[in-house]
Amino acid sequence: MSRPMGRAVRKAYFVASVAGVLFFVMSVALLGVWPRRVIEAETAAMSPEHTVAMSASALRGRAIYAREGCGYCHTQQIRYLHTDMARFGLPTLSWETRFDYPHLWGTRRIGPDLSRATGTRSADWQFAHLFAPRSIVAGSVMPQYPALFDGAPDRPRQDARDLVTYLDSLGRARELAGPEGEARAREACNCPDDEMKQMAFGDQVNAHPARSRRGGAVPPLPAAGDLARGQALYGERCATCHGVAGAGDGPGAAALKPRPGNLAAHEYTDARIAEALWNGVAGSAMPAWRDYPPDDLAALVAAVRSLDATRTEPALPAHMAEIGARVYAANCQQCHGAEGDGRGTAAAELTMAPTNFRQQRPTLDLSLRALRNGIDGTPMAPWGSRLGADEMLAVAHHVRGFFAGGGR
Amino acid sequence: MVETAETRAVPRVDTALVHAHGIAALVTLLLSVTFGIVVAFQLIYPDLGAGRPWLSWGRLRYSHTQGIMLGWLGNAFFAFLYHAVPILSGRAVTSARLGHWLFALWNFAVMLPGWVLVLSGVSQPLEWAEFPLAVDAVVVVALLMAAVQFLPPFFARGLEYLYVSSWYIIGGLVFTLLAYPMGNVVPELVAGASGAAFSGLWIHDAVGLFVTPLALAIAYFVIPAATRRPIYSHFLSMLGFWLLFFLYPLNGTHHYVFSVIPMSAQLTAITASAVLGVDVIIVVANLLLSTRGAGIIPKDAGLRFVVTGIYCYLIVSIQGSLQAQMSINQAVHFTDWVVGHSHLAMLGFASFVAAGGLVHAWQRIAWARYNARAINYAYWLLVAGLLLMVVDLTIAGLVQGRLWAGGAPWIESVEASRLYWVIRAHGASWLLAGGFVALLIGLTTGPRGGGWQAVDEGVGAAPVDEIAPALQPLEGAAS
Ligand code: HEC
Ligand code: HEC
Ligand code: HEC
Repeated sequence: MSRPMGRAVRKAYFVASVAGVLFFVMSVALLGVWPRRVIEAETAAMSPEHTVAMSASALRGRAIYAREGCGYCHTQQIRYLHTDMARFGLPTLSWETRFDYPHLWGTRRIGPDLSRATGTRSADWQFAHLFAPRSIVAGSVMPQYPALFDGAPDRPRQDARDLVTYLDSLGRARELAGPEGEARAREACNCPDDEMKQMAFGDQVNAHPARSRRGGAVPPLPAAGDLARGQALYGERCATCHGVAGAGDGPGAAALKPRPGNLAAHEYTDARIAEALWNGVAGSAMPAWRDYPPDDLAALVAAVRSLDATRTEPALPAHMAEIGARVYAANCQQCHGAEGDGRGTAAAELTMAPTNFRQQRPTLDLSLRALRNGIDGTPMAPWGSRLGADEMLAVAHHVRGFFAGGGR
Repeated sequence: MVETAETRAVPRVDTALVHAHGIAALVTLLLSVTFGIVVAFQLIYPDLGAGRPWLSWGRLRYSHTQGIMLGWLGNAFFAFLYHAVPILSGRAVTSARLGHWLFALWNFAVMLPGWVLVLSGVSQPLEWAEFPLAVDAVVVVALLMAAVQFLPPFFARGLEYLYVSSWYIIGGLVFTLLAYPMGNVVPELVAGASGAAFSGLWIHDAVGLFVTPLALAIAYFVIPAATRRPIYSHFLSMLGFWLLFFLYPLNGTHHYVFSVIPMSAQLTAITASAVLGVDVIIVVANLLLSTRGAGIIPKDAGLRFVVTGIYCYLIVSIQGSLQAQMSINQAVHFTDWVVGHSHLAMLGFASFVAAGGLVHAWQRIAWARYNARAINYAYWLLVAGLLLMVVDLTIAGLVQGRLWAGGAPWIESVEASRLYWVIRAHGASWLLAGGFVALLIGLTTGPRGGGWQAVDEGVGAAPVDEIAPALQPLEGAAS
């Protein structure tokens, strides 16, 4: 090998080595530094005028989320894809993650995306689920985290409370920003022709199908549900909370407030069950099931009805009916409504909708118990100390009289 | 004179350090695999571990990948470097003392505390960067020490004498030093989406600038050394090398397609991913052409592991180029398909090649035990486990992707995965565990010097001076 050849090779390699390092630098510049500048400009322009920083508790919760590797089963990044958006909500904008040091985007979904977790699950659901996921969701593979608790799901330690505070902060800033925030971001984006970027703006920030809500319109379901299918589904999805026979005593029930409804001790109209399935029961752990096809929901309606174990109760003497109506008008009407339809004047202010007695009829026994003890975790207060025994019996009967489902 | 193992031993190779890193590699491998197996089982028996924090899925999952990358592959690469650098450069590594420190630091100041901290809840939620920052600092120091240990012998002789393996070694060590802090530190300082952009770079750089170059260094070394024929084309080898170093770093953002990271960055990465596939075809063609005559499944154990790894490299790279494309990415991203892909890369490609390098070096340590039968078993068990796992997870990914796109309730995708998770845990993981245990047995039992015997029965053992010319650029090609 001659020397000049050696020198030429050396020169070539030197050039290539410098180029190699430059390419690395270029990659960082092109795919790291430059995107960062774009993202930061976008963040500054698009974020709402007043944003809420994370609370100390949420920050501690975030550290727990990081340390337990929740992010290796859950993403926090909704992509610009209709399949993502239909399930979780609007795509994650850069400003939404700007307090994330480091980011928790994730690259694998064993469980669902959590970037819009706020308001999706009630706190009692979260605690019971973290303590023992399979006591709530039978087919879940999520690990249990009993170390965050003091021995029971309704005794969360600070760690569990912080974690749930954190979960409940995910996506909240975007929801709080509201329509004004969306308009502002859309304007800042200034991208009317960019079809993809436009996908990020809309009114349904959170599209989670399990998020409960009050009074959402329920689509019509097929009239006759497939009972066998419904019972199978009930066993897989509902029995954890409501119990196999519907008595509200499933393995997850004890930790929930209010407790899951006793489906066996009620008569329901189909519409009431459909409503509970489509909208969930806001203010309780009862999720909505909007991701289930109408046939499945109809099947579940049939299954819930088949749980009905109520019997005809003895009628009341006429003078008692009068007492019942009087007590009701004086004490119950403002919540449950004059017609028993749950639309009393105070109803809208309550954290939970008062029972609509036209659509569901509790057994006399259940009705009396609800009156005497109230329903823990709901605005329904105990009346045992305020009403006499006769009055209680009378009004417990009275509310049963509203039922419009009759005989079916 | 009768040739003995001693007379054939390579001068200047510090076999004690090869051996030490080799054993450390196998021990950390078995631990990392155990973590992996436990998390695989936890997906079918989620209450396994009974909620003990240090046995919980997330922490074990962090430990699994850090262990594989730094513990197993890191140690295996170092073992190979102690074998190869003196042969490639004709000079000893910088210092045995330094070597002892590097060994101690890597295993007792990186792996041990790294795992203990992660399992006790001190970690970073960043992929391929889960060890906490304090441990990262030690990694950087150790990488610097490795650079001091292994690079000067190359420079002492002059760049024009460098064979492609040497280039890969230099490139791997230098670029890892550049990329490691970026991936581990920057996302702690740069929030949210911007931080994710850097993470994306690192996820790819960890594989592309650390694992791949060192694995290819092994492949380019073992193939000619075991077949005793020079590489098919030095030109292609260098072309492949430079393209690889230019293209790999540009791939990172393909981990976040359809995200809020600017579309032009995503498109750059998607394009680079496609071109990278072409480059890999060049590299692999060159490597496989160099094995001509050795058969599709070579007899020599080291060579066989390496060649199998190269097959995987080809498949996984083409798969990678495809799944970076938007239409496919949309269908499989976030699913088990990707988990299958990363096992094809880290297990099929990197681990097979690293195991091949380890076996190859072991065969050439006069005093090392070598159990050819166990190694043969190891190979077949690993091949079976790998195939089962990758096919299984790929199908699982397609099933999950289809259910998600169809809008099925989430839990249905979890329930539909169960069958595939059962196959992975009860099938693939036992095969793989058996394979890795067999590898450990293969390299710790059997007669001392048994490696040479195995080589003799294969291609025939040749003294190193006969192998060395096959590892020279230019002259080697000419002679
Ligand atoms: C092994 C994977 C895995 C890990 C780790 C994991 N989860 Fe989950 N998670 C799941 C799966 C699967 C589901 C869906 C089934 C269910 O609801 O349990 C889920 C559901 C959830 C849900 C309900 C989300 C929804 O939209 O319905 C929340 C909230 C949640 N997980 C939070 C966490 C938190 C917090 C952590 C860490 C402490 C965590 N998860 C760790 C797998 C996991
Ligand atoms: C996480 C536990 C949980 C699961 C799972 C669950 N429910 Fe509920 N459910 C509740 C709670 C809590 C309530 C509210 C009870 C109340 O209003 O006091 C409720 C209320 C209801 C109601 C209204 C009953 C009433 O008396 O107001 C119906 C109907 C119902 N659930 C049906 C179902 C069906 C069908 C499923 C399965 C698809 C299901 N639930 C799954 C917890 C659950
Ligand atoms: C402050 C508003 C409020 C007042 C006043 C009130 N309720 Fe309620 N009541 C509720 C709410 C809210 C619920 C629903 C709780 C739930 O869904 O678990 C409820 C539930 C009940 C139930 C249980 C229904 C079922 O199917 O489980 C009965 C029975 C009942 N109320 C009777 C009465 C009677 C009788 C009075 C008057 C003495 C009364 N309530 C006064 C808010 C009120």
